[in-house]
Amino acid sequence: MLLAARGVERRFGRRVALAPTDLELRGSELVALVGPNGAGKSTLLALLAGALPPSGGRVEQSEPAALVGWVPQRPAVYGHLSAWENLLLFASLQHLERPEAAARAILELMGLPDGSQRTAELSVGNQQRLNLGVGLLGDPDVLLLDEPTASLDPSSRRRLFEFLRERQERGCAALVATHVVEEVMGLASKAVVLVEGSVVHVGPPDQAAAAISELEAT
Amino acid sequence: MKTVWLLLGNDARRLRRSPLLLAAFVVYPLVIALLVGLVVRYAGERPRVGLVDRAGLPRTIVIGERDFDLKRLFEEAAEVELVRMSEERAALELETGRVLAVLTVPKDFSVKLRRLSESPQLVLRTSEGALGSRVAEKMSALVYAVNLKLQKAYIEANLGYVDLLRRGGSGQIGRERLTVIGLRRAREELEALAGSRDPEVAEPARELATFLRQVEGAVGQVGDFLRATANPIELRTETRAGRTWALSAQVQAYALALALAFLALLLGASAITAEREERTVSRLVRGLVSLSSLVAEKVVLVAVVGTVVAAVLSCGFGLVVETAGVSGGQPWERLPLLLAGLAVAAASFGALGVLAGTLARNSGTAMLLALLVGLPLALAGIVPAGASAPTDLLRAVVPFAAAVELASAALYDQEPWATVAEEVARLLVLTLVFAAFARLTVRRLLT
Repeated sequence: MLLAARGVERRFGRRVALAPTDLELRGSELVALVGPNGAGKSTLLALLAGALPPSGGRVEQSEPAALVGWVPQRPAVYGHLSAWENLLLFASLQHLERPEAAARAILELMGLPDGSQRTAELSVGNQQRLNLGVGLLGDPDVLLLDEPTASLDPSSRRRLFEFLRERQERGCAALVATHVVEEVMGLASKAVVLVEGSVVHVGPPDQAAAAISELEAT
Repeated sequence: MKTVWLLLGNDARRLRRSPLLLAAFVVYPLVIALLVGLVVRYAGERPRVGLVDRAGLPRTIVIGERDFDLKRLFEEAAEVELVRMSEERAALELETGRVLAVLTVPKDFSVKLRRLSESPQLVLRTSEGALGSRVAEKMSALVYAVNLKLQKAYIEANLGYVDLLRRGGSGQIGRERLTVIGLRRAREELEALAGSRDPEVAEPARELATFLRQVEGAVGQVGDFLRATANPIELRTETRAGRTWALSAQVQAYALALALAFLALLLGASAITAEREERTVSRLVRGLVSLSSLVAEKVVLVAVVGTVVAAVLSCGFGLVVETAGVSGGQPWERLPLLLAGLAVAAASFGALGVLAGTLARNSGTAMLLALLVGLPLALAGIVPAGASAPTDLLRAVVPFAAAVELASAALYDQEPWATVAEEVARLLVLTLVFAAFARLTVRRLLT
């Protein structure tokens, strides 16, 4: 196990965003997190990433702790900095040994512009790629991706999935939140269906699609 | 520590890349400081006072042989703005605060003033509180000034009578018209008699003439004695090239504190909310930066920027002072002490701004909250200590009054160390308290 949620829950005031949830991520495993808007997918990812403190339960990590990369749904980068400056800043904050080299590698991997253009002035697609790139800094063992294909053009999506497959082969785990289960059908070994903050189905991805259709019908 | 430096560099870059925002942060509070300075300068200068004239003051009254323009003396008083009004209107305006006091001239005022058998009285009704006592002080100054002028008129009138006694002739003393021989002629006639061959006439005439010469000499000095006893101490006002009001110690200290307060509050609030609006705070708290470090970094950022801005403003004031040749000059050697103190003041305001930001969560609300907090703080800072319990409390729990005291002492006190140390200690305590509260509430940015 690289990363696990043990009875993790999150409430905002009286509203339950995520009921107590258990989930484990193992090496070379890609899990699809599927569900409608407001189901609690982003909350679960933020809790696993440590970006949000849980109201109950705990998040467990392997020993030694795996490096977890988190890509939130909406870009979480500094608009006044260029793509390069953002990558360099986050690489430095992560105390990577060679922050410049790490930033340069991601810049090239994501095909981001290497100029002084501010991130706020970049296209939505490039902002999303930068957001993804920051999450990949330091070569993480676990990737938590929240709707990573939103705002990406088809070729960027294809490159993302190629990248994920390659990482999977190297023993990395990924939890990918998506609306469209078919997107990760070939990659995911398991799908977790969340509805209104609760896990309603865990199983092969092809069954997840059927489970969602059934839920929508009822 | 390295992470704090990295974030500081990042925020500094944000400011450098938003020069308009930075300029607004500096110019806006400076404009407010100047406007409030103007209000402070002029609002307290001539309080509006209602004048109820029951006596029907004549345009002039005659004291001795001199016309005395009493009406003009009151209405052109520099100390207060006297506004003539009816008794009813005066009562209403005092109640609603449109006038700070009402001065009533009783019916028998003019008669008593002419006769001087007893002192005529003016009745002053003031509002309650500090402003009322301030008006009473101003009115005392006005009555003192009028008394001084009347005194001079009476002395001149009395000296006229004395002169009539000395020289002789026709004149009026009080209501009585009379013709007197006068001391001089009496002496001259006695001196003529002193030359008589009759020793019984000549001897007493010589003695009387000698006595009259002495009296004449003594009476000749009455004028000086009267003036001296009426004004044992006289204040002579000389106008010279002093500091203009805009550059006075008080206004400089006030402008610095106000500019710093607004800049630091707004910058602190916007710096912390920007992390939430760009969603970067979620990335940072994932083990990159602790929430305590994040709050500390924002407070340090504001302290650094505040110190730089305070240095620029102080140098600006100094250049104007030197260029205008204002007497006293700018105390340049005090600049390091001033800036060290203002750095702590900026940190204190910054911590309050960060707290406002964590409570408001988004920048628009945070800015509004910072402004809503900033204005009362600034106004409470103008109110003198001891004026009212609520403003005293505000002065104690917010950094504004301490910053003004500190700036004023650092620039112009002969021995500034004790005051500066006391205010710095107070500001440090406030910084820690605000920062501790901000640390408690900063988690709100994660949701």
